Amino acid sequence: MIAYKFLAPGAVAPFTGFHWPVGEWVAASGRDQCRQGIHACRIRDLPLWIHAELWEIELAGEIDEQPRKVVAERGRLVQRVTGWNEGLAAEFGRFCAARTRERVGFLPVGSGYVGDVDRFVATGRIPIAGFAAARAAEWRDGPGAYEEEREAQAGWLAERLGLGE
Amino acid sequence: MRLNRELACQEVVELVTAYLDDALLPDDRERFEEHLVFCDGCQNYLHQMRGTIAAVGRVRVELPAELQEKLLEAFRGWREA
Repeated sequence: MIAYKFLAPGAVAPFTGFHWPVGEWVAASGRDQCRQGIHACRIRDLPLWIHAELWEIELAGEIDEQPRKVVAERGRLVQRVTGWNEGLAAEFGRFCAARTRERVGFLPVGSGYVGDVDRFVATGRIPIAGFAAARAAEWRDGPGAYEEEREAQAGWLAERLGLGE
Repeated sequence: MRLNRELACQEVVELVTAYLDDALLPDDRERFEEHLVFCDGCQNYLHQMRGTIAAVGRVRVELPAELQEKLLEAFRGWREA
């Protein structure tokens, strides 16, 4: 299975500090796959786990498809998705801001969300811009709108980065 | 409105020790990490906790036995509470 993985600069796992080698298989370190397995994203999961670098990862062995990520026994970084960089991240933030403005910008309280998202984009805090855009959608249209907004973000990323599964 | 599955910063602070001890249930661990993705404040807090644990772990302190027992008792009580 081909999936994706966001990493900190230098191909470092943001939560564990693990330094990922490129092209080498890495096996889960224990039997508890959820804690110690190889975590990765399907396209729809991408907006939830945004970080500095995006990599294509090949997964193998037992693969558990969870609601917000996939967990596998083994994984191998295949190549970096070089299209994901600061410029595209900022563009993604502006996409989130534009959608927020369109959805809630004309409402008295909603315009506060627009200001928040604009500020996050201006300061390079792209993950929280995406989150706030989804939260604004939820505020106006209910929990389904949160997921809908996240799907729209994932679709934008897939299209602009030319990703497939 | 807040999604049930989403943690607030205060909850993250309360769970940070369990996270570092790898004692969270898988779903809670995911919720914890999902929060970290977008919350700079909690990222910093986790980083500071890791740094503190690393620094304190290098300190050699011999506690008086009575004090050590009192501390352990207090922590046991905290766990039960």
